Amino acid sequence: MDFKDLLKELKGNLLSLMGSKFDDLKEESKKDVQDFLKASKEKLERWTTLLAEGNITLDDYKWLIESQKDLVVLKGLYAAGVSKIKLGHLKNSILDTVIKTAIGFVKPKEDDNNTETA
Amino acid sequence: MKTRFYAVYLMLTLFLVSSCGSLRAPVFDQYSYQKGTELKVDAINLMDKATMSYDSQQAAIDNFDSELAKMLEYQKNRENNTISYAMWKMIANPDKNFIAGFLKRWKDKGTLSSFFINEAKGQVTEALDLILQYEGKKDPAAENKLKAILGL
Repeated sequence: MDFKDLLKELKGNLLSLMGSKFDDLKEESKKDVQDFLKASKEKLERWTTLLAEGNITLDDYKWLIESQKDLVVLKGLYAAGVSKIKLGHLKNSILDTVIKTAIGFVKPKEDDNNTETA
Repeated sequence: MKTRFYAVYLMLTLFLVSSCGSLRAPVFDQYSYQKGTELKVDAINLMDKATMSYDSQQAAIDNFDSELAKMLEYQKNRENNTISYAMWKMIANPDKNFIAGFLKRWKDKGTLSSFFINEAKGQVTEALDLILQYEGKKDPAAENKLKAILGL
């Protein structure tokens, strides 16, 4: 099993799911991808050792590798969902501004009241 | 006259922004978060028992499968919930290597080794944590937001 090839495949899958080239990603997303790949590398090394020592079978090993690939897909869904939430926040900020401005129009200003009282 | 123009302009902007479906943010759901946490704990407890025979744990497995199926059905019918539903579908799919896939493997093999169980538990935990973290990032209900804006 070539770690480099597997990691390359995982990275490729993750980036295609995120819909962007790595270089174009924001720092936060880049760190997320790097952390995930680092964790993947550590797992692959641990699983290979367990296989070599006979603590897990080849089928177990393959199952775990596949689960890591499934995690890549899940991570992609998570990233897409968070992007959608961020877009929603932008929409809400626009709505907040519009509502506050509208309330400003409706509410009588204190100066106006004072003028009327005077 | 000018005030009326601005009022109409603001109302139109409000309508356009709020009616834009693609920007409709998913809303945080307490039940999903709570039930998801329970399912995670139950899944890990069940996985710990996989050194014993599958048949001996049949009742607990059936109960877990039923709870997971209910969760999937609940997620399917929530509004603006495409991503969470897709994530839960993966968890509940026996052909994906998370908890449903683990249970399928347990059934096929009869028992599983403690080394494999420990590693698989890490994978299942990570998957369910992602779903819970995603739920936690969602917006509070629109009603709460409106109250906050109005200072209530």
